[in-house]
Amino acid sequence: MAIETQYYLLLSAAVFCIGVYGILTRSNALLFLMSVELMLNAANINLVAFSFQHGNLTGQVFALFVMALAAAEVAVGIGIILVLYRNFEDIDVTKAATMRW
Amino acid sequence: MAGAFDFVPAIAALPLLAFVISLFFGQYLPKRGAEAGIIATAGSLALSIWTALTVAGITGSETTYNENLYTWIVGQDAGAVTLQLGVLVDPLAALMLVIVSLIAFLVHVFSLGYMNDEGETGLPRYYAGLGLFTASMLGFVFSNNLLMAFMFFELVGLCSYLLIGFWFRDEGPPSAAKKAFLVTRFGDYFFLIGVVGVFATFGTGLFAPLTEGGSTVAQSFPQLAEEALADGAGAAGVDTFGYDASTWFTVLGLLVLGGVIGKSAQFPLHTWLPDAMEGPTPVSALIHAATMVAAGVYLVARMYGFYLLSPTALAVIALVGGFTALFAATMGVVKQELKQVLAYSTISQYGYMMLALGAGGYTAAVFHLTTHAVFKALLFLGAGSVIIAMHHEENMWTMGGLKDRMPVTYYTFLSGSLALAGIVPFAGFWSKDEVLYEALIHGMGTSDTIGTLLLLGYGMGLLAVFFTAFYTFRMVFLTFHGDARTDAASHATENRWNVKFPLAVLGIGAATVGFINMVPVKELTGAEIDYLHQWLNGDLGATASHHYSDLLHDVAHVSAADIGPLAPGAVSLLLALAGLGTAWKLYNVPEPVEHTDKLGGVKTLLMHNYYQDEYQVWLAQGVTVPIARAADKFDQGVVDGVVNGVSSVSLFTGSRMRRIQSGVVSNYATLMTLSLVLLLLVFVVVGGDV
Repeated sequence: MAIETQYYLLLSAAVFCIGVYGILTRSNALLFLMSVELMLNAANINLVAFSFQHGNLTGQVFALFVMALAAAEVAVGIGIILVLYRNFEDIDVTKAATMRW
Repeated sequence: MAGAFDFVPAIAALPLLAFVISLFFGQYLPKRGAEAGIIATAGSLALSIWTALTVAGITGSETTYNENLYTWIVGQDAGAVTLQLGVLVDPLAALMLVIVSLIAFLVHVFSLGYMNDEGETGLPRYYAGLGLFTASMLGFVFSNNLLMAFMFFELVGLCSYLLIGFWFRDEGPPSAAKKAFLVTRFGDYFFLIGVVGVFATFGTGLFAPLTEGGSTVAQSFPQLAEEALADGAGAAGVDTFGYDASTWFTVLGLLVLGGVIGKSAQFPLHTWLPDAMEGPTPVSALIHAATMVAAGVYLVARMYGFYLLSPTALAVIALVGGFTALFAATMGVVKQELKQVLAYSTISQYGYMMLALGAGGYTAAVFHLTTHAVFKALLFLGAGSVIIAMHHEENMWTMGGLKDRMPVTYYTFLSGSLALAGIVPFAGFWSKDEVLYEALIHGMGTSDTIGTLLLLGYGMGLLAVFFTAFYTFRMVFLTFHGDARTDAASHATENRWNVKFPLAVLGIGAATVGFINMVPVKELTGAEIDYLHQWLNGDLGATASHHYSDLLHDVAHVSAADIGPLAPGAVSLLLALAGLGTAWKLYNVPEPVEHTDKLGGVKTLLMHNYYQDEYQVWLAQGVTVPIARAADKFDQGVVDGVVNGVSSVSLFTGSRMRRIQSGVVSNYATLMTLSLVLLLLVFVVVGGDV
């Protein structure tokens, strides 16, 4: 017996909220990356769940694209974090606060 | 076979080529560019003479030529104006082409003596300026429409600026050049409005109708104006902007006249011309005799058919001319420098031409323009010869006794002076006499205000004859007669051939050119010797002088009284002789003294040129500057204030709003999240269909 779609959605919402919470409260750049990863995957869960309910594969294909995108995003993000570390000897995002007016 | 008319554009193109050659290659040439100028103007002269012969019907069957050669801007919409450049050759233009190219040629030759032999520097620039000056004037002369005329008119002004300010390292010439440019520009401003007005009113600026195979393909604006007066503006397809046709044509005529008054140095825009004496003397000769100053009068003669439609404009022209003639002549009486006297005589003589034009004496004006070009070029070149011999000293009181040491200069200068003073049989007598005669008969024959104004102009012109003769011979006696008053004067020597040759040509011309139109002699003997009258009465109906006489009588209602030319001629000759005699008595002595000192306060007034410069400077500094300053205040305060006020609101808001950018990524994330939540809440409360 298949699991009802709404449970997937609940799981997705929970994962998403954890991601948001991580972004809002942490100051470590690596944790930022992880939280963003959580939020993206929450969306992936939604895509796959709806795809399953509708009985076609569009959503699953989409989820694959999102994963590829997330990988690229992490690559860029890690690069930024490395530069951040070189300049500030730290990866605390609140310290790098000079990029403004 | 190509006829003379196909080469008319080359008349102006040759000096233009000389301009380019002198400017870029002049420094590599042995005479620094003079060669190019002399060859080019000689070529122009030859082509002009050929053109004149063709117009006379000697070397071809076609005697007039009017073609559009180049379309500059094509009007797209119906009724839009198409701007074209073209060539008009009629007797007037042909005559003027010969005069201009002749004077330009002689001035180039003379420059060899005045500039090259004196070791001046910057000669390529000088000869380039002369070439461009000649080219623009020649282009102006054969323009077939008002816009093209305006463009060349402006080029002439530009060249005069460049040449008057030739010695730009001294203090005087640059300021004189600026003054000449600004004062004539002031007049040209009105001219420009007039040009736009003519194009807006008539849709064409043609001076003479274009014909093709006997039928008219494009009408000229004087012709359209004539039709508009006869049949009403609508019938002629003329837009007079709601004004009465004759009123509107007067306004247009007076606007164009603004440019004429500036260029031809008529009162009150004459002040630039005496200052322009700062330029090299050959340039003065060119400016005064053939190019710049002549351009104004020539323009009136060119569109004379239009001025004849407005009696008011005619009266204004006559009055300005007569007044200027007298006004400038009185100032010439007290001047101490050779070229200054000549400068005021130029203003005065152009006043005569304007008087003639205003009085309906078209032929008389063209006649005086011709003779004046010859004798004034002669006088300036003669003055230049004296100045070379005196080592660039111009004050007549340092001269004296040059008669025996410089015979060629003396006799040619004397010929020019007799012509300027109007002594029979020299050129100036015949032309000045005819100018005054035309003013008199038309003044007597017309009963209303215009007749009175013409008579007033005649009176002033007649009085000016006396002053002209007086100051001319005061100049001659002070310069050439008596004892040498300085070392320079007692050691002066005659100049080389390149000075003597132009003087000789012009000296003979000044004595003889009046014979082309001896009206009083015709009256006496009955012989048909008024050649200029016959010449200007050429084939092209719209610009022939008989058409102008018809218009003068029928539209302007100016008619001629039946007075013979002998008595008025005798009066003006007697006055001239009286002036000559007075000068003889006072100044033809070994040790002349300044008799004009006895004039007292009047002399001070005359020396200061009636305070014309002062009041114009006051107009500029006392009136224009405060107005400009007030306008600047308004611009800076009100116009810019509104703009700045609006932008300062943005600036202030921005400076406050940017504070929410802390640079801390977490804050941005918080804001984004909160905003998204807020947006969702709004959707929930308002419903999905916002």
